[in-house]
Amino acid sequence: MQSAERRTDKKIKNEPWRDPNAEAYVRFENITKRFGDFVAVNNVSLKIYKGEIFCLLGGSGCGKSTLLRMMAGFEQPSAGTIYLDGQDLAGIPPYERPVNMMFQSYALFPHMTVEKNIAFGLEQEKGLSRSEIATRVTDILEIVKLTPFAVRKPHQLSGGQRQRVALARSLVKRPKLLLLDEPLGALDKKLREATQFELINIQESLGVTFIVVTHDQEEAMTLASRIGVMNRGEIVQIGTPTEIYEFPMTKFVADFIGSVNMFEGQLVEDLPDRARIKSDELGGLIYIDHGISSAPGATVWAAVRPEKINIQRQPPANTSENCAKGVVKEIAYMGDVSIYLVKIDSGKTVRVTLPNVERLSDDERIQWDETVWLTWHASSPVVVTQ
Amino acid sequence: MKTQGLFSKVMLGFGFVFLYVPILSMVIFSFNDSRLVTVWNSVGSPTLKWYGRLFSDDQILSAAWLSIQVAAMSATGAVVLGTLSGLVLARFGPFKGRALLQGLTTAPLVMPEVITGLSMLLLFVSLEQLLKAMFGWQFDRGVATITIAHITFTMAYVTVVVQSRLASFDDSLEEAALDLGARPAKVFFRITVPLILPAILSGWLLAFTLSWDDLVVTQFVSGPGSNTLPMVIFSRVRLGVSPVVNALATIMVLIVALGVILSAVLMRRQELRRKREEQMAASG
Amino acid sequence: MSLSAARTVGTRGTPGRLGPVWTFLFRYGPPRWTEYLIKNWAGQRLVISLPYLWLLIFFLVPFLIVLKISFAEFSPLGRPPYEPVFRWLDEGALQIKLLVSSYTYLFNEPLYVSSWGYSIMVAAVSTVLCLLLGYPMAYAIARSTPTYRNVFLMLVILPFWTSFLLRVYAWIGLLKTDGVINNVLMWLGIIDAPLTMMYTSFAVYIGIVYSYLPFMILPLYSNLEKHDNTLLEAASDLGAGPIKAFLRVTLPLSFPGIVAGSLLVFIPAVGEYVIPSLLGRTDQLMIAKLLSDEFFLNRDWPKASAVAIAMLLLLVVPIMLFQHFQNKELQANKK
Repeated sequence: MQSAERRTDKKIKNEPWRDPNAEAYVRFENITKRFGDFVAVNNVSLKIYKGEIFCLLGGSGCGKSTLLRMMAGFEQPSAGTIYLDGQDLAGIPPYERPVNMMFQSYALFPHMTVEKNIAFGLEQEKGLSRSEIATRVTDILEIVKLTPFAVRKPHQLSGGQRQRVALARSLVKRPKLLLLDEPLGALDKKLREATQFELINIQESLGVTFIVVTHDQEEAMTLASRIGVMNRGEIVQIGTPTEIYEFPMTKFVADFIGSVNMFEGQLVEDLPDRARIKSDELGGLIYIDHGISSAPGATVWAAVRPEKINIQRQPPANTSENCAKGVVKEIAYMGDVSIYLVKIDSGKTVRVTLPNVERLSDDERIQWDETVWLTWHASSPVVVTQ
Repeated sequence: MKTQGLFSKVMLGFGFVFLYVPILSMVIFSFNDSRLVTVWNSVGSPTLKWYGRLFSDDQILSAAWLSIQVAAMSATGAVVLGTLSGLVLARFGPFKGRALLQGLTTAPLVMPEVITGLSMLLLFVSLEQLLKAMFGWQFDRGVATITIAHITFTMAYVTVVVQSRLASFDDSLEEAALDLGARPAKVFFRITVPLILPAILSGWLLAFTLSWDDLVVTQFVSGPGSNTLPMVIFSRVRLGVSPVVNALATIMVLIVALGVILSAVLMRRQELRRKREEQMAASG
Repeated sequence: MSLSAARTVGTRGTPGRLGPVWTFLFRYGPPRWTEYLIKNWAGQRLVISLPYLWLLIFFLVPFLIVLKISFAEFSPLGRPPYEPVFRWLDEGALQIKLLVSSYTYLFNEPLYVSSWGYSIMVAAVSTVLCLLLGYPMAYAIARSTPTYRNVFLMLVILPFWTSFLLRVYAWIGLLKTDGVINNVLMWLGIIDAPLTMMYTSFAVYIGIVYSYLPFMILPLYSNLEKHDNTLLEAASDLGAGPIKAFLRVTLPLSFPGIVAGSLLVFIPAVGEYVIPSLLGRTDQLMIAKLLSDEFFLNRDWPKASAVAIAMLLLLVVPIMLFQHFQNKELQANKK
């Protein structure tokens, strides 16, 4: 995650989305899509900038694929307009849009070789000579590292190779925008990780704008310069991976990305530089070292990520805030981290993740049914009001 | 589970016996030197004399030739129209009259042939009258009317075959082609057709067989002088068995059997080769 | 409000402002693939109209003509042998002469009345027999290993590709008095005198079952093949014996296949001509033969047309049932 963040800093140095005067490359304006009575996409507005990898992240049925298909031209919006590089795309069929799509199933033409698959899109363009097409095909094959497989047919390739052919086929047309529908879903874990970075490299070197649709948050976090979280046809939050993870704006987003512990409570103190929440779920007070703009006494939720919670056998200095006592109910050893489920006195089960930093002997390690204290730093909780 | 399995296996065996004994008996008795066909004449048999008679029987030979021509033309026409309607029904969204088209394309599958035959004959008669009244043309029923009639009822079969093939077809392939810049017509000819070609071919064969074999509709719509093979056979066997017909039947069975076995072998080989290639790709 | 949004931002030269077409299409909630086809409307129309026109002219219109003639008056010496139904009189008036005598004849004349009943009965009995033989066969094939399965299917389909007419003819050789079956039975000493099997209802049953067996097996097989074996395992695990499992699990699930196969046999069997002509009774005819005789022998076109219409009416419900099931199968197979 860290390295991807550095990359996006490099790539989008000025973070154009923060500049109110920057020209958006892709604009969805008030897009709604209805299938009969069912509203798949509900009044979505979105701005995407040139060179971004923008991820639409959400569960199934949230409308992300529909949005993508509207961009590609396979569905028409029931309302709203889509602009690409200033051009209104309404009524333009898919074969006339400067947009290409990489399908989840890759959709490689089984009766054509890899070369012919890739060349297909170029052959549809007017004014390209045979030799030009051949050159471009050879070039893209090198970029995706498939040169020795040029004359093979799709069924003679492995899953990862097929994916690269699909990518090559779309990129060779040098589209303004590339749409990727769950690009890594069909790959196994190891391959997925390797491909994620390859994808970013290719995107950087070619400078194409990507819109990726995925339900896999890991994928989104790795690939994206910005993520748009969708739920039930609406965009719930847009931000960089850091922003989404560390500063979710709603319970849904906090819960969707990674794991989170939610403590419901009432806002009892709200000052410009600090706040306190009284939470029965925690059985105490939550002290936060920044202000929250909300009405006093309002019901809010404090979200604390499992990796930000500390487990210790001794009680902390201040037991009135940001801590809880509990009993370890479950431990899951994952190799790199251990996940602890601790039932605190209020009855709630809190999830804590600890890295296995040292090789501890069994006596030193925290065991089942041990009584422990959970604490966290005042900056850790994120407060959401919806 | 075992006894139940046994019962159905026994029935399977019985069923195959039931299916093939008549065919076998026809074939065997084609070599029987007896006009009575089924009374084995051990003196002269086995003999090829009925085959000889067959190949000098002008009526049968010319009827067979006519049938082949009609069947080839009908099958081709049926494939063109049937593929189009299969495409429309499988791929095109709702449009006015879609339900009617669906009904019209599948009704011939079950419609009794006397109804189809009668109705088409009456149509041709009305057309004849119309053309005569308007242009003074006189046209007789014959090869053209038979072909038209055959196309009409065989295209239903092609439609079903193509439609079901397209329905189980991953249409993201067609979408990908559109996305890459190909117009719909191009997508159809360069992507869809090559991939459903086996279905189209089997549709052609199906239409050919149905046309070649058709009796009732042909009887209604044919004209003087256009006798197809089924018509000739039928008029001969109404009166009883005929050994020349046995010979003809044997030849046809042989051709069909060879064709089916050949295609099965070819398909199997292609399938095996494909599997091997996929395995190689997955491991390498 | 939604459509006006689509008209906003008049950027130069953008194609495709097709407001009314949008409304038309969206009223039917268009499915995936075809939305962009708006632009290609003309091409789409052409593709639809080709087969459509053909079928309208050569399939639908003929039925209308048959309907018309069924109301006409028989005129034995006319060419064609019926009085025109519509006739323009000199005064410019249109005379329409509709007779229902053909129809009343059909339902009064004992020859016809018995034939309707007989045809339905024969078709029904044949369908049941075909089902009784075809179901176990389809079941056995569906449960066999893939290699055998393909061989079996090929063996089932092979007779279908040989001539229907010739296969029916084959039974003449088997069933007649000096035919194979009688010869074998007498040779084995099981019977003393030859059995009369030709020109009976029994022969027609055999003929229909024989010819239509593939049509029964294939839909059944295609249904049974999709059955999840684990369902039966689950039933067995829960305590159901094999027969019970079959009756409570397999049989109900195979119902659509049974219906499809039965309709594929029953409907054409009612109107079957060749088999009863070659093998069937001469004293009790099936309805198709009556139609043919009425047309070719009596040259009574109005009556023949009336028979055709009556047959259609009789079969229209089964035909629509069949199309309904056919559609469901196609939808189920859609990926």
